Amino acid sequence: MNWISALGPLQWLMILAVPPAVLSLYFLKLKRKELAVPSTLLWRKTLEDVHVNSIWQRLRKNLLLYLQLLFLALLIFACLRPGWSGQSRVGERRIYIIDNSASMQATDVSPNRLDLAKKKVRELLSDTSADDVGMVIAFSDRADVRQGFTKDRNRLFNAVESIPTTSRGTDVSEALRAAAGLANPGRSSFDNLSDIMVADAVPATVYLLSDGAFGDLGDFEMGKLKIEYIPIGETKTNNLGILSFAVQRNEDKANKLEAFARITNRGDQKVDFTASLEFDGKLLDASAGSVEAGEEAGLLFELTDTDEGQLKLTLDYEDALAVDNVAYAAIRPLKQISVLLVTPGNNALETALQTPRVQQIASVQVESPTFLTDPKYIDATLNATYDLVIFDQCSPMQMPSSNTLFIGSVPPQVATPKPAEESKEDAKNVGWKFGEPKGPIFILDVNRSNSITQFLEMGAVEIVEARTVEPGESGTVLMTSSDGPVFGIAPRGPFQDAVLGFSIVQKTNEGSARNTNWWARRSFPVFVYSAVEYLGGGVTESSSPSVQPGWPIGLMLSSRFQDYRVVAPDGQTTDLVRGDESRYTFTKTDEMGIYQVFAKGVEKPVESFCVNLFSNRESDLTVADSVKMGYEKVAATSSVVQARQETWRWILLAGLLLLVIEWVVFNRRVFI
Amino acid sequence: MAETSTIRSSKPSSALLSAETMAKLERMELVSRKIFRGRMKGERRSKRKGQSVEFADFKNYVSGDDLRFIDWNLFARMDRLYLKIFLEEEDLHFYTIIDDSMSMDFGDPSKFFVAKQIAASLAYIGLCRGDRVSVSSFETSASPVVIRGKSSAHRLIGHLESLSCVASACTMSESIKRFCVKNTGKGIVVLVTDLMNKSGYEAALRMLVAREMDIFLIHLLSPEELNPAAQGDLKLVDCEDGDQREVSISAGLLNRYQQTLAAFIEQAKSFCNKRSITYVPARSDQAADVLVNEYLRSKGLVR
Repeated sequence: MNWISALGPLQWLMILAVPPAVLSLYFLKLKRKELAVPSTLLWRKTLEDVHVNSIWQRLRKNLLLYLQLLFLALLIFACLRPGWSGQSRVGERRIYIIDNSASMQATDVSPNRLDLAKKKVRELLSDTSADDVGMVIAFSDRADVRQGFTKDRNRLFNAVESIPTTSRGTDVSEALRAAAGLANPGRSSFDNLSDIMVADAVPATVYLLSDGAFGDLGDFEMGKLKIEYIPIGETKTNNLGILSFAVQRNEDKANKLEAFARITNRGDQKVDFTASLEFDGKLLDASAGSVEAGEEAGLLFELTDTDEGQLKLTLDYEDALAVDNVAYAAIRPLKQISVLLVTPGNNALETALQTPRVQQIASVQVESPTFLTDPKYIDATLNATYDLVIFDQCSPMQMPSSNTLFIGSVPPQVATPKPAEESKEDAKNVGWKFGEPKGPIFILDVNRSNSITQFLEMGAVEIVEARTVEPGESGTVLMTSSDGPVFGIAPRGPFQDAVLGFSIVQKTNEGSARNTNWWARRSFPVFVYSAVEYLGGGVTESSSPSVQPGWPIGLMLSSRFQDYRVVAPDGQTTDLVRGDESRYTFTKTDEMGIYQVFAKGVEKPVESFCVNLFSNRESDLTVADSVKMGYEKVAATSSVVQARQETWRWILLAGLLLLVIEWVVFNRRVFI
Repeated sequence: MAETSTIRSSKPSSALLSAETMAKLERMELVSRKIFRGRMKGERRSKRKGQSVEFADFKNYVSGDDLRFIDWNLFARMDRLYLKIFLEEEDLHFYTIIDDSMSMDFGDPSKFFVAKQIAASLAYIGLCRGDRVSVSSFETSASPVVIRGKSSAHRLIGHLESLSCVASACTMSESIKRFCVKNTGKGIVVLVTDLMNKSGYEAALRMLVAREMDIFLIHLLSPEELNPAAQGDLKLVDCEDGDQREVSISAGLLNRYQQTLAAFIEQAKSFCNKRSITYVPARSDQAADVLVNEYLRSKGLVR
């Protein structure tokens, strides 16, 4: 006989409390009417047999009580769901994969798709036998194993209940891989082919509860998994969503900003809507528009006299999914990078630093090499006044506390090695290796993955003389010439140093001579701009970057500050730990809205970024009637959805009610 | 007024005794199964030999005997002296004790009233026959009203009317004990009670038996006690000691009550019969004169 408890511990406690309660009803005193009698002598004698003092004797021979207790015992026995284990009852593995991506927040079904999915899983769970083991996996754009294989149904119930809603995208493959890995125990080692299986593969049934917004699953191998796809949601659900929202400075008018939004209509009829734009919580503008079914429409807002702040775009349209009706953008704080150029004279470089684009992001101070011995410079470098120092054909005695770019010169400790005076900071730079100037050379390759050299076209650049620059182990080669690497970047503590092995102009006895024709190429100002932007930690766009919920974001932050913290829209703060690079990766982006980055000691945010849904797939609430797994197509299953509706609880309740009524009726008639 | 009552006292038409009842009673007399010594010369035969018209026996003359009682005819015939002995006639002591505990105050008419009626009837019979009549209740058992002669009937009625149920009544055995101490004479005792005494009635009756009195026990029960009409869930409160019993009236319970009642009556009856006490069950809804005229007559108390 198998015992499948139909009740949880709390419910068991309640059921077990009923027999004592019934017993206590028998001790319960009735509210009696008083009646004076000549003497209770005869009554006392009459009642002596029945009304003995001992409560247990009083209960003796009470047939009703015994019947009631027997009835209760049978009820409790029934709750244990006794049964015989037959051959057909083999413990099954069931894996419940529940979609909790943004589209599952849709309210086209009551109360929403995720809650409906949870309800269906509960129904499925209550129909399992005691031997069945279950696992609960929630997935959005990643898999989250909420509960490993267990027979404990209460833990499974709790795991299902604890699945949170997210605003993330959808990617079921990880969840399916987790299910497959846990369901089909593989080899302990893939190298040793004679390795035996760790355990027998047990076929498992996967219940995939989703709205199907994850597309086809390429080459997924189901193996022993049997997949039951249970679609959640109405097949046709209209939805209006924001696909993108960005702010851009007007090129013509300096103080004007333009905000763009792209609205998609995933319904089957034309929709008229209004969109309201809030700036720092106040209504700034509103616009009306309409979108044809299945089409997209753009919205444009012109903003004047807005310096920096937070923008929120809301679609005033009631549809099933609310999360895609809101979008955020932040106008970046106007920030200037402070750049110091130390040069004996370099018109080409100075001109490249005077372009409007560079001027927009940076303020450039030009000094001659004599400035390097000025006490002002020493103060400034120690206080990290500059974000970037460019040394053109010269090098300082000591490296400044900022990012540096050396053009045609090398960092000091290598040019004049002083092993005895090497500081800790300098020790790191030992990795640099420089060759002797040789020429002519030409550039063979540039590193496209680095943002400085990303857009450079160096094919036609001629260089008279250059030295090789090897940045060492922790550095990166950015440019390789016919002679070897000529441009490298390497970290120095919290800072970065870039060294270009050739100068633009060469100082000779006759004056300055051009060392290369690069300065006349279009790629030169691009290089200067990229270098300033990258090394200065510059902010180039007026609109803050935006990522989808849950995705990491890279932050370029100035090396001037050591400590940063990020304030999420819900007020949570996260301290950023500064690594070797000036690029930070922030991952806690589950909350939609605007995140602000504060530097220690600075009141205003130095950077901000937004987390927006902006997902065509999530905004599309159409429920797929089948999902494609590798080469197989899994159609929606309706049979499992028609799960057993358990009614025994109500019958149990009715039985208990009957018991109470019986007691009341019986006691009104007869007492003995 | 006092005079009027005195005049009317010979035939008091009170609630206790109606005129025709009294007329009937006047023709009756109390019967004792035993012959007792009285104090005064009365209408009763006595064990004592004395001067009356009723011949009893002869006895040999011994010197000192009263010469007036020598049967001279017999001396003439037998030449020996014999004395003629006559039976003495004496009065009868008749005691009535009424239970005046609170339990007697139940019923319509109340048991106490019926008890008083019975007591009045019997006492009146006794008065008419010149017996010595004593009426008392448990409370007044120490100082009973003792009267003699039909002319004192008003005193008897007045005393009975003044009696009422007392909450602090002495227990039955205490009252009977006091009664026995005070009344040393023998005679007929009629005890009217419902026997509803939680400390028991046996001790009290034993004391009376020890006095060698002719005892009649009139066990008076009201219809409420014989056939309770109560219904539902009740808390029964004893009017004497406040004892509470919770009952839910049901057919089974009533059946059981009847069994208990029958056992109670049977027990009393058997106790009395064993001790030559005449047990007379009575109902308070029965007319008192019927009870006296027919029922007590059949029991041999009156004739």
